[in-house]
Amino acid sequence: MNGSSKLNRGQALLGWLFLSPVIVFYLIFFTIPLLFSLYLSFTEWGGFDLTLIEWVGLKNYKALFAADSTFLHPILTNTFVFAFGTVLISFVIALAVSYTITRLRFEGFWRTLYFLPTVTTVVAVGNVWLYLYNPTNGLINAVLNKLGVQSIKFLDDPTTALASIIVVGGWLGIGSSVLILTAGLKAIPEDYYEAATLEGAGLAAIYSKITLPLLKPSILFVLITSLIGGLQSFTLSLVMTKNGGPGNSTNVGGLEMYNQAFSYGNWGTASAMAFLLFICVFIVTIVQLTVFRRGGVESY
Amino acid sequence: MKPKSFPLFSYAFIIVGSVMMVFPFLEMLFSSFKGPADYNRLHYSLLPEKFETSNYAVAFEQLQLGLLFRNSVIKSVATTAIVLLTSSLAGYALTKLKFRGQKVVFRFILATMMFPAFLFLIPNFYIMVHFPFVGGNNWMGEGGDGGMAKYMLALILPFSVSAFGIFLMRQFMMTINDAYIEAARIDGASELRIFFTLILPMTVPALATLAIFEFIGSWNEFIWSLLMYTVNKDLATLPVGIQQLKSHLDANMTQPLVNAALVISTAPILIVFIILQKYYVRGMMNTGLKE
Repeated sequence: MNGSSKLNRGQALLGWLFLSPVIVFYLIFFTIPLLFSLYLSFTEWGGFDLTLIEWVGLKNYKALFAADSTFLHPILTNTFVFAFGTVLISFVIALAVSYTITRLRFEGFWRTLYFLPTVTTVVAVGNVWLYLYNPTNGLINAVLNKLGVQSIKFLDDPTTALASIIVVGGWLGIGSSVLILTAGLKAIPEDYYEAATLEGAGLAAIYSKITLPLLKPSILFVLITSLIGGLQSFTLSLVMTKNGGPGNSTNVGGLEMYNQAFSYGNWGTASAMAFLLFICVFIVTIVQLTVFRRGGVESY
Repeated sequence: MKPKSFPLFSYAFIIVGSVMMVFPFLEMLFSSFKGPADYNRLHYSLLPEKFETSNYAVAFEQLQLGLLFRNSVIKSVATTAIVLLTSSLAGYALTKLKFRGQKVVFRFILATMMFPAFLFLIPNFYIMVHFPFVGGNNWMGEGGDGGMAKYMLALILPFSVSAFGIFLMRQFMMTINDAYIEAARIDGASELRIFFTLILPMTVPALATLAIFEFIGSWNEFIWSLLMYTVNKDLATLPVGIQQLKSHLDANMTQPLVNAALVISTAPILIVFIILQKYYVRGMMNTGLKE
């Protein structure tokens, strides 16, 4: 090691030079907006003239928690139902799929097929599913009719609309979960399976005694990251329902925030919503960090 | 030796599943060849009665697909290139240079990953439109007509640094032996030269992963581009333009046209993904790594 102070000073200068784009970026697009947004959440403002910002203290937050507020229910409820629903669908299917494809030939090919929706823009996904859900000539109702069930107006009926979008969200999420779970499965040493087979263990015993316990870190990672993603997701609702309708039946936190700011010009309310939703996401993030600090996901 | 029971059942399960994954894409593809009458039939059919290729030409004209395509390409290529540069510079500074404060910077970058993107939509929208000294704005960010949103930069700048990218490049650069750099220094190579001609070529695998990851993400990104589009219609990218202009078209004509446009916007990225998926998969794996 060359310890001369000239080299050290040179390295420091170069280091800060190399980091300068990152630092400027985080100043302009992270630190300032974060503080600005936090400040806005205590104000009333239409988003145009800075001199018209009016400090209202906790009013926005109080309004969100008020008895007649739609934000806690149904919007935040929907957000959690959407997040848990999509995670449940994508996880259960992904677990079965990844377990199966690691035992089949052409594993990469199957994985690619399951991954296609993940790399497709939400505009394409949302619109195509709108056709599939179409009450007059969509595929899903055609199948239902064949089975003797009357056509369902999936997205126009408040009782089915959210569930319909959850199915699409779950479908979208399968690919990335499959990817992580297959990697986790392949990290389990072959010897364990060989030993268990020699001992005469059956498929079910092998699965519950070897596969599941050793896959736990990957499973936790998939569940928690999908949940975090699900809580923030709103583009699917935006594309498929525009404003979270019918009524508020498909409205989720991110979408309501977006509409409050950019459709109704309530920037203060929207900022307060953003921070409430952020707190929900943050709690899950903290759980994730604690779990992984203890268990470690280094296994893959 | 893995347990190989029920291969038939396994294949059946996986094929049925695959059909459900791929079917919506087929629906999109075949509907794009349907004429208006064909599309508005009262019963379901996957295949068009008559393959109508004119949808593609009409879509190019009515949806201005040429402009949308150009914008999407500029946005994605520029974002990817800038992210590669900022990530590798930062990754190098955080691993191969020694100076006080680098740990703090890295902790900060990691911490930013805990703040979800939706939190920044509202303030960043204001900051872009009221960017000082840009697009006719004064130093207070007032007086202009659109600020940064007058330019394509508005679609690129907010994505020009990626915490994930820095993390990825840092992880990769840690595996490069410092002896290379010391030797180059003894030979009298300048620090910039060491970075660009010695280190960058060694990080090509990581750069490829980051590039494909960023390109796909940028191509598909929707919300921010939509917001900028509300300020300046010339900034429409493929997803935004298709979603927005959909409502302006004649409802009975629309769907097959929209489908044709969706095929044109989706096909390139699916092809890129299928060819380069090895790198993409590697990137996905890295999102799961912790410090």
